[in-house]
Amino acid sequence: MSSPEKRAFLPRLGLVTGGFAALLFLVACASDPVPPTSSLNLASEAIATAEQADARQHAGAELEEAKQKLAEAEKAVAQRKMTEAERLADQARVAAELAVARTEAAKAAEINRELGRGAEALDEELRRQGDRQ
Amino acid sequence: MKTLRSQKRSILNRSVSGKRLPVILLSATLLTACAMAPVSPPGSIDVRSKLTALQSDPKMADHARVELREAEQAVQLAERPLGESEAALAEHRVYMADRMVEIARAKAETRLAESDRERLSEERDAARLAARTREAEQARDEERSAASRAEMSASEARELQRQIDELEAEATDRGLVLTLGDVLFATGSASIQGGSNQNLEKLVNFLNQYPERQVLIEGHTDNVGSAELNRNLSRQRAESVRRYLESRGVDGRRLSVTGYGFERPVASNDSATGRQQNRRVEVIIQNGQ
Repeated sequence: MSSPEKRAFLPRLGLVTGGFAALLFLVACASDPVPPTSSLNLASEAIATAEQADARQHAGAELEEAKQKLAEAEKAVAQRKMTEAERLADQARVAAELAVARTEAAKAAEINRELGRGAEALDEELRRQGDRQ
Repeated sequence: MKTLRSQKRSILNRSVSGKRLPVILLSATLLTACAMAPVSPPGSIDVRSKLTALQSDPKMADHARVELREAEQAVQLAERPLGESEAALAEHRVYMADRMVEIARAKAETRLAESDRERLSEERDAARLAARTREAEQARDEERSAASRAEMSASEARELQRQIDELEAEATDRGLVLTLGDVLFATGSASIQGGSNQNLEKLVNFLNQYPERQVLIEGHTDNVGSAELNRNLSRQRAESVRRYLESRGVDGRRLSVTGYGFERPVASNDSATGRQQNRRVEVIIQNGQ
């Protein structure tokens, strides 16, 4: 009674094992071509931030580079080159972050120049006032 | 027998270990060589030198500590040796590190500008404050010096008045007029009697105290005798006073002498008292400018 049962079970075990293996294989295969969504989103957000900060005016080259990298990343996703896509997306993000940083630096320098001109005018005024007295 | 075998074994052992040693050495060398073989990706050298420049600039480094630490990690990652098959990854890491170094630099520049701005506006405020303080001080000083000038001139005026009173001089439009009576001189003589005279001493003191004042010395007589004689006498008496003043240290350039004779009487020559009043030397101390 027990021996035929055993015989019937053995092929079933093989089937189950095979199924598992196939499943594992599928999962493994599927895990590679997943688009790097998180990196792509971060890159898009960084580019949007840069545009809002008026990076086009103060760090146009950096902003363009970021956009180009993001476009390349999306192309790589379409070609299912997900590793490359993730790298390009990360590059797009840092390029956009650099655009923001340089925009802020340019704005700060501009404000200081204005202040400097104001201070010079004031000094001049004070000096003249001093001469008059 | 037993000892012989053990001796053999030990010899055998030794020969084996003698053969092993070079092998170990060789494999060690190979291992070292292998470990050294993959060098840092080429681009990482430039990134490292940019980062080092930034880190060694204290003004910049102070303003982007966090960003520099992140850039340092990125550069270290980029420096990690990779096989030739991983060239794309190496390039990616170098790109990331480079941009992060640049971000750190830009942030440092921004914050440096911001702290400069604080300093600039503080300086400006300080300049404004200094100017206002200076104005206020000037106004106060002017007020104070005006007050002290007023005070000074008031006290000077009091002192002058005291001395004028002492001199028994009369303040007129021409200046202070001090009349030296004819008791000063012997009748018909131009010489000052008795060497020194209290009135003249007071005059000397006064003139020395106000050295800028010019002095007119005018001689007058009564109408006894000819006009010419009286003019000469009056002039000589005035000269005597001048000489006396000079001898007491008054600068001769301040003194001018005139003899009017009996041209300018102050009383009637009809009485002896009147004539005595007319015989006089007037010292006119001109008012200070």
